[in-house]
Amino acid sequence: MTLEATHCLLRMYEEHHNLEDYQGGVPRWCTGCGDNAILAAMQRLCRDNDLRPEKTVFVSGIGCSSRLPHYMRTYGFHGIHGRALPVAEGIKMARPDLHVFVSTGDGDCCSIGAAHWIHAIRYNMNMTVVLHDNHVYGLTKKQVSPTSPRGLKSNTTPRGAYLEALNPLSVTLGVQNVSFVAQAVDWIPEVLYDILTAAFQHRGFSFVRVIQRCPEFLPKMFDPWLQDPQKTLLLTHERGLHLSANLAKVYKNQRAHDPLDLDRAREIASVEDPIAVGILYRNPEVPCYEDLRVSGQLRTADYVRTGLEAEFNKFTVWPAEQEKSKPAA
Amino acid sequence: MQMNVDKEAQAVDPLIFHLTGKQPGSGKDALAGKRPALLAAYADLTRLRYDFPLVLIEGKTAGTPVRSLSSVIDDLLQKIAPPGMESEQLRKMILRIEREIRTLAAASESGHLSELWDKVATRLEQADESFGKSVRIARAALEIDGAVLDCHAGMATGLITHLWSAVQEEKAQKFRATASRLAVKLADILRADYLRSPTGRSAESLSAAVGPAHQALFDFSAMSDLLPKASPREALSENRRRRIESALAVLKGQRFFAPAAGQPRPDQAAELYSFRFDNCAAAISAYRARLPELTELVKAMSIAELESDGAYIDGKHDVIFSGFDAGSLSPHDTALFPDYLITLGKDGASFDKAALMTALSSEAPLKILVNIDDLVEESPTGDGHIASDVRSAQLASLATGLGEVFVVQSASSNLYQLRERLQRGLSFGGPALFSVFSGVAAQAGSLPLYLSAAAAMQSRTFPAFSYDPSAGSDMASRFSLENNPQVDADWTVHAFEYADPQMQRIKQESAFTFVDFLVCDPRRHGHFVAVPRGFGIERMIPVAQWIAQPSDQSSDKVPYVVATGSDNVLFRAIVDERAISAARRCLETWHRLQEFGGVHNSHAERLLKREREIWEEQKRQELASLQPAAVAAPAVAAPASTPAQPAAATQPEVAAAPERSPDEAYIETERCSTCNECTQINDRMFTYNANKQAYIADIKAGTYAQLVEAAESCQLGIIHPGKPINKGEPGLEDLIKRAEPFL
Repeated sequence: MTLEATHCLLRMYEEHHNLEDYQGGVPRWCTGCGDNAILAAMQRLCRDNDLRPEKTVFVSGIGCSSRLPHYMRTYGFHGIHGRALPVAEGIKMARPDLHVFVSTGDGDCCSIGAAHWIHAIRYNMNMTVVLHDNHVYGLTKKQVSPTSPRGLKSNTTPRGAYLEALNPLSVTLGVQNVSFVAQAVDWIPEVLYDILTAAFQHRGFSFVRVIQRCPEFLPKMFDPWLQDPQKTLLLTHERGLHLSANLAKVYKNQRAHDPLDLDRAREIASVEDPIAVGILYRNPEVPCYEDLRVSGQLRTADYVRTGLEAEFNKFTVWPAEQEKSKPAA
Repeated sequence: MQMNVDKEAQAVDPLIFHLTGKQPGSGKDALAGKRPALLAAYADLTRLRYDFPLVLIEGKTAGTPVRSLSSVIDDLLQKIAPPGMESEQLRKMILRIEREIRTLAAASESGHLSELWDKVATRLEQADESFGKSVRIARAALEIDGAVLDCHAGMATGLITHLWSAVQEEKAQKFRATASRLAVKLADILRADYLRSPTGRSAESLSAAVGPAHQALFDFSAMSDLLPKASPREALSENRRRRIESALAVLKGQRFFAPAAGQPRPDQAAELYSFRFDNCAAAISAYRARLPELTELVKAMSIAELESDGAYIDGKHDVIFSGFDAGSLSPHDTALFPDYLITLGKDGASFDKAALMTALSSEAPLKILVNIDDLVEESPTGDGHIASDVRSAQLASLATGLGEVFVVQSASSNLYQLRERLQRGLSFGGPALFSVFSGVAAQAGSLPLYLSAAAAMQSRTFPAFSYDPSAGSDMASRFSLENNPQVDADWTVHAFEYADPQMQRIKQESAFTFVDFLVCDPRRHGHFVAVPRGFGIERMIPVAQWIAQPSDQSSDKVPYVVATGSDNVLFRAIVDERAISAARRCLETWHRLQEFGGVHNSHAERLLKREREIWEEQKRQELASLQPAAVAAPAVAAPASTPAQPAAATQPEVAAAPERSPDEAYIETERCSTCNECTQINDRMFTYNANKQAYIADIKAGTYAQLVEAAESCQLGIIHPGKPINKGEPGLEDLIKRAEPFL
């Protein structure tokens, strides 16, 4: 039940923000780090959608990428390692009116947080999740992550990584209830912004893997892709990405892909070279968990207090009762 | 069924009767106890499974709040007695109960489905013990209940009131949810302010908040001293507090919606408003009187929404709300509150038509049901002609002219088929008119109300139509003739079967016209006379055929209708010219409705004809220009058969970037990934734009060497240093060489 009078009044004094309104501090990331590109795209997204800072929250776990909430002038929650998604789900459940974004790294999401990641996809709660994937643990000075390529020498694998890299796209596309999967690279900012915008506009769990450079520990890893645009496959579609003329001139390797085609999306995800960039899958029909579990129950102060009392009582130790239950000496 | 003529009717000259409508003597009612022949098959409605009686479902329903008894029983059978030999006995029992309930309802027995079921089941069980257990199983499986309503005089009122109540309950639920949510949010704001206040943080308050257990473990005084230092000290302004408290009071004291079942109303609240009226003036008057209170409620809700969203800006919104009055309400806002249901013409009561039209044009949320019990009457000029009752029967057509009124016209027999449209009208944001013919006036005859109402619709006397202003901006979207039988035809035509005097089966098709509708009404039997013995059958023409021929065509023939009585013997009656004239006018009215509904639209047909002529002329000219080469001109095909040419695929034009000179220094800004490499070299020469992507802000703010260094360090290779501006810069030769790959 929305009154038109209210709607008009809200629109009448709608605030319009500048990019600076979302900038929360000077990033401490290394020069050339892909996190900078993601941060810039996020701030543009907030500005262009006029997101109210007090209605926006960025959640992260641990890692270089997880410092992102510090640089956004919105609400933020720099959580614990691997637990960005449960925190974000809790926020969304309690405050469905907030715009929830999650920044997580390839270690944070695909290693210690993998269980949460799988179930977050299945729950399909309305949030935008960005996987900052630089293929390495950077904050702790170069250890292999689940997405590190086989053979990568690091502090924990001096003879090279033994295992094939985990493919976050294939994993995500294999989980029931998946509703939005896309891939971007930090060195094509125009597409990165478009994909993040599409992810934000999708109602559901929008998973965007951003392949990004780590200039400190893997400075040359993506040079072949940077130097040869043919090694990047841009996925276009009337329901997907639309390229500008300038970009289309540089990146000529393009393919039309319908984001509703899950089987084709899985095929594309399984190919690592060329790197596919675009929206692999989008299905707006998948229900969101918060909608399925929506309750008409009003959270009045009494209701919350009663619920909390009931929960606390489960764990309360009552000394008097303990004394009574002690066997007689 | 056999065909017969009246052997006593010899004194009447059929031709003279047709022309004058006069018959010798007192004028015997030739059609007494008779009905149109096409209705002969419906002698006993209780033995038919059709739309009636209805069940007005109580409580929450997933779909429509009304169902026919037949559909309820069908679902029950599907559930507990699906087709098959095993459950055949149970099926028969349940269908028998259905028939008995239908009989009770037809005899005006009122009650809920469960009550009528129990009454019937008890009676049948007493007569036949085998009914017992099986019927109790069926009764237990019957999940829905509600009043049973047959097609009697008050049916339209009962049905529309029930549907209206369902719509109002839906609105009430939405309001209650919104109002409760807003009240909690406002209370939370006040409560949070209290908890931050010195009183809220006093040792006593803190102690009370923790409760009696473990009090000795806390030093509440120390906590009281500590808390103010660690949290914001801003308190609610007095202005904001008053605003919130005032909005809360209005929300709690509103009188438009009842609280949810089991919830008490605030003690101070006055009596709830009623929204049911039996005249337009009273409803309009009540609407006006309540408008200030409605405005206050909308204002309070708007303030509460803004406050709970943290979007209330004192300096701006205060001014708006201080001038907030009834003019600030939009139709969308008023549509969220209860509609006023006005029932007119109930039990034949007269009503003020002018007040009705005024009410409909008011844009207030009025839902008006007009019960019409008579469709034909003698002309007010007293010349003996039949006139349509313009005071009632044409109300719906007039209301469509008002533009923004939702209109439904229908005979009561068809209301169940139109239930979704009725619901849409009741949910419509503005005024709505439901014009329903009950068939009551014709009840002096032997026909059940359902049949006389259905006859009005079948005969085009009272066609069904709807006009929905919310469906679109044009007539094609708004106007609908759906639910009328055979919309394309003038009259409805039905298969008809009877036995001739030699007992041979005859099959033919027969039209059901306005004149047949007159046969249903004993008051109009003066327009008919029996066919006298010896009058040649070749001199009689069915009414539909008669009307189809030009009215000025002189002939020695006469029109007739076929009726039948309880003996099932067919009977021809000659029709007088006044009835025929009325039928012609009825047909013209139907033609106008057809045009509104896009059927045989004269404008469209004229346009089509003109376009066809133009097209044919063009083709003729083309063929003529090819004449020397062509041996024989091919036949010209109709334009409709020409396949449409697919539109050529067009590429959208996208602005390409301007070509740059290799001498010019620039950055491909759109491709910049914000990596900070260049800005760290010289943040006055390289600057970020509004999208935080780099461009050369001032080329003179740095050296050519810095330009070349930035180009080399950019991983994307999007910095182009161009040629040096300062020709005296040291080491230029080497720098130009290094810059070459990036030009």
